[in-house]
Amino acid sequence: MINKKAYSKPTIIRHSVGVQNKFGRPPATVPINRLDGFKVSELAEKHGSPLFVLSVKALRDRYRDMNRAFTTRYPNFQIAYSYKTNYLKSVCNILKQEGAWSEVVSGFEYDIARNIDVPGNQIIFNGPYKTHEELIRAFEEGAIVNLDNYDEMQVVEEIADELDKVLEVGIRINMDLNDPPWHKFGFNVEAGHAFEAVKRAQSGGKLKVVGLHIHTGTYVDDVTVYSRAAQGLVNFYAYIQEQLNIKLKYWDLGGGYASHNTLHGAYMPAEQTCPTFDQYAEAICPILLNGPFQAQDAPKLFIEPGRALIDEPFSLITSVVSQKRLPSGQRGVLLDSGMNIMSSVQWYRYNFQTAQDSGAMLEDTIVYGGLCMNIDVLQASSSIPPVRRGDLLVIHHVGAYNISQSWQFIYLRPAIIAIEDGEVHVIKKAETREYVQSFENVPDSFISNK
Amino acid sequence: MELQFKSELTISESGFLFDHATGLTYTLNSTGQFIFRNIQDKQNARSILSLVMNEFEVNEDTAHKDLDDFIRQLKEFNLVGE
Ligand SMILES: Cc1ncc(COP(=O)(O)O)c(C=O)c1O
Repeated sequence: MINKKAYSKPTIIRHSVGVQNKFGRPPATVPINRLDGFKVSELAEKHGSPLFVLSVKALRDRYRDMNRAFTTRYPNFQIAYSYKTNYLKSVCNILKQEGAWSEVVSGFEYDIARNIDVPGNQIIFNGPYKTHEELIRAFEEGAIVNLDNYDEMQVVEEIADELDKVLEVGIRINMDLNDPPWHKFGFNVEAGHAFEAVKRAQSGGKLKVVGLHIHTGTYVDDVTVYSRAAQGLVNFYAYIQEQLNIKLKYWDLGGGYASHNTLHGAYMPAEQTCPTFDQYAEAICPILLNGPFQAQDAPKLFIEPGRALIDEPFSLITSVVSQKRLPSGQRGVLLDSGMNIMSSVQWYRYNFQTAQDSGAMLEDTIVYGGLCMNIDVLQASSSIPPVRRGDLLVIHHVGAYNISQSWQFIYLRPAIIAIEDGEVHVIKKAETREYVQSFENVPDSFISNK
Repeated sequence: MELQFKSELTISESGFLFDHATGLTYTLNSTGQFIFRNIQDKQNARSILSLVMNEFEVNEDTAHKDLDDFIRQLKEFNLVGE
């Protein structure tokens, strides 16, 4: 028994063009032993696996960087964080601390903001479906409301009558900026609908148009799309100013800024393609500042980032459950997390990094989620070193949409922790069966009486 | 179970493997190389298992499962037949 060698699982890897790419062989993976100073293995042991981990410092840094990029280029600027991306109360609170306003798209999200004492006049209420009651509350509390369609405009005119005052509104517009264009929301500029909508709102005497809102798409990593949107806003403002004597208090360029995640089908990794906040700001601000106004009258500029703020600060710790060899020869690895908590796998080609030293021998692997469903594939092809049951993997940049879109299905959803200044806080406990079933009711007559 | 290489193979000190029949190349890690050299020495799967356990700090279950997986892969790459 003396001096046996350390064991690692035997591997053989075929060198094929498939494993390489245009940039040569993929880099050997460096194990992610720690997240913000804490051992991954200890975090998983204490809080379970899978586990979402928020780096609070990373979140604050992202916010400050984005805010700096725009405030240094535009005099009157405000970030309104897109709640739908991740509306954990801790996340909303931290961003409120940093100075963010709230961008909400439903009465539920509006209530989340008010519940943490975001003042009504620091909430932007967007979205295609807002109820009469929600709109009344928003106007009474001084929120910014952007109208999506004529039905909504009519409801808001009724509310103006009820409240007996002229209500200030913004109009959501869209332009043919990308392919396919986003026509679902708001009124189209090129077709003349946007002008008609502003005119119609203004001419009823009950509403006053003070804002324009556009959201060009999501994960828009081409900054020229924003430049064209900004130029479109400037042109449209000049036109409605001249024709209808409109004076804007704000314009809102929406969200869509890319995060450092690589899209499926992307040729290059996001590290090389994701624009910086400075590049976005530079593509937008100088154009807007050429608008039809004196510098001191510049409308307030809002942007509504979601994924660009919240993707990077979150990581997921997950464990290997099993592995097998497929008939194709490819290795399959199955994890304890599935697409029910990782819905963004439909967009992103994630990197799976081991939390322990597993050697540098990467092998092309299909990564399965743990759901008992054939479609639950997290990655069809990923280069992963040898792993075995119980090994931990870390996936970075998972903060956007995964948590707010997660579904409770087959398994209970995991805990979420936040790390700041050497302290770990549980910001959402792991679900329990009791919690999941707490709203259910079984009538006595359904229960077998033995 | 007798294991046999299907064609002429050359393996380097660092675990770089060349298949003369197909021109394909492979890399093996140290455990993989150890098993490979024992196949070259005409050991059968059962004796390779005990050799692995003598050489490395590993329990039988793990060694067995990993060896099966490794041999399965050699077969899939068409390097080994029985
Ligand atoms: C109106 C509006 N603003 C902001 C966002 C946030 O988008 P993203 O997460 O791409 O920044 C969205 C999302 O689609 C949206 O619809």
